[in-house]
Amino acid sequence: MITATGLTKRYGSTAAVDGLTFEVQPGIVTGFLGPNGAGKTTTMRLILGLDSATDGSVTVNGQSYRDKAAPMQEVGALIDPSAVHGGRSAYNHLLWQAQAGGIRRSRVDEVLDMAGLAGVARKKVGGFSLGMHQRLGIASALLGDPPVLLFDEPVNGLDPEGIQWIRALMKRFAAEGRTVFVSSHLMSEMEQTANHVLVIGRGRLIADVSVEEITRRSALSHVKVVSQRAHELSGHLEAHGASVSNGTPHELTVTGLDAGAIGAIAFQHGIPLDELSPRRASLEDAFMELTRDSVEFRAGSRPSDPATDVAEIARELAGKAN
Amino acid sequence: MTATTTSLHDMRASTAPGFATTLQSEWTKLRSVRATWIIVALIIGLSIGVSALTSLVAGLTYDNWGNGAQASFDPLVSSLTGQLFRLILLIVLAATVVASEYGSRMIRTTFIVNPRRTQVLVAKAALVGALSLVVSAISVPGMFLVSQAIFEHYGLATASISDSDTARLLLVYTVSQGLVYTLIPFAIAWLLRSAASAISVSIGFIFLTSVLSPLVPVWVQQNVLRYLPDMAANTLSGMTETDASTHLAQGPAIAVIVIWLAGMLAAAAFVLNRRDV
Repeated sequence: MITATGLTKRYGSTAAVDGLTFEVQPGIVTGFLGPNGAGKTTTMRLILGLDSATDGSVTVNGQSYRDKAAPMQEVGALIDPSAVHGGRSAYNHLLWQAQAGGIRRSRVDEVLDMAGLAGVARKKVGGFSLGMHQRLGIASALLGDPPVLLFDEPVNGLDPEGIQWIRALMKRFAAEGRTVFVSSHLMSEMEQTANHVLVIGRGRLIADVSVEEITRRSALSHVKVVSQRAHELSGHLEAHGASVSNGTPHELTVTGLDAGAIGAIAFQHGIPLDELSPRRASLEDAFMELTRDSVEFRAGSRPSDPATDVAEIARELAGKAN
Repeated sequence: MTATTTSLHDMRASTAPGFATTLQSEWTKLRSVRATWIIVALIIGLSIGVSALTSLVAGLTYDNWGNGAQASFDPLVSSLTGQLFRLILLIVLAATVVASEYGSRMIRTTFIVNPRRTQVLVAKAALVGALSLVVSAISVPGMFLVSQAIFEHYGLATASISDSDTARLLLVYTVSQGLVYTLIPFAIAWLLRSAASAISVSIGFIFLTSVLSPLVPVWVQQNVLRYLPDMAANTLSGMTETDASTHLAQGPAIAVIVIWLAGMLAAAAFVLNRRDV
């Protein structure tokens, strides 16, 4: 379990991470979602003790990272996978890490195998592709067979086959009871892998929700109904438990009933319809709705308009999704 | 590709990491890149090669030298002309070992796998220092012996390693220079985190005394320069004439070297532990 309490990192007057409080639970994949530059990597670095917090704290299984006796056997991390010495072989790159962590040598071959790199173990990593660097980074994270795994943008640069592989891997690790914390700037990626997401924007936590909740909200569709007798129809729909709002005098936006049910009610009362069309809420809308509370709560605490901020973040997250 | 993870706690054969595992890990890092061995080969090859070459030139041209030049021929000093290459390349070796990790950003992985930063620094220092001593123990006597053989072949005066002054000089060059010229650049590299700046600052700083001493007032030599590490190492070697006011005695010179090395390493460790990686 990872626990952050009021975690803050300031560079001069700019807060890269601003009062983050959250818990990452074992047994599920927790996504860490935010646009580029939102503070995801800084948070990961704070968890791993690379940077020290300006304020607040973060612990892994109740202990700060730099206090751990055998950190590799507790936490595995994939951060900046291209940060390797190009002249060293993949095997030796993993060997020095295994030795530093007190991990048996034979484990190096095991993780090379797992990451699909056994064939290039003796090749210099300088010649590796982006995807191979990513696999090598994942291999190092797995060296200590750790119960806690941190992945910073693990699908970056992977081919579709590699993406499937890392998704399956993360799900299996979670199923094995490990804590899996994965960052991404794509909401669609999180929908594929995560059970829970922490959404961060400009260093602040703006949502801490289950993916189920997001999916439910984004599935929350409304139906557009146009009829000359809209007012009359509206009363009948509300009697069936729908919530209805008027756009123009003849146009209704109906939630709580699907198009089929609305058509049946209209037919039953002999009301002719000009248009009956189901509309799906966009991911962006669902996200906006989710974060509305936290936005209002924070209103006034920032010089810029917080609602605009969140809208911007939502567009970035959803817009980049396919 | 088919991922077969081992069970959650199948790490029985693993041990708790400590200084020994850190040393082992840093040794793997050092030996597994070609750059290390290229620099080692260059130090030995260039220092001995250049000394042999200048000795050969001395031997071939000696008969044409003037009487004064012939009289002042010192077979010991003349055998160590490759020193400069050895010293500069030792600085390069030490600075590169640290700065290459910053250059590739691999330093983050180093401190993720082992957050005990002082332990990493000490292990690296021990290995770089030991490597430098081994390389120096080959190149310093190597320069001397090859050159003496050449001098002898041409009938020039020779120095003998059984002479105690000669032996002391070779020992001091091997040990105290071997440590000063690697551990000070090593510490500077941790502070500056870039190979280029660490090498230039180290060369400037270490050679400062040799460059400045003829130029500055005696007061500065007495109160500043003689406390600098290179001057102290020179004093130990017995190479410079021991003028009590501008040079230290043996004991204090050793103390000055030890204080410099310990102080620089402590400063590097202090900054390293407080700074974000």
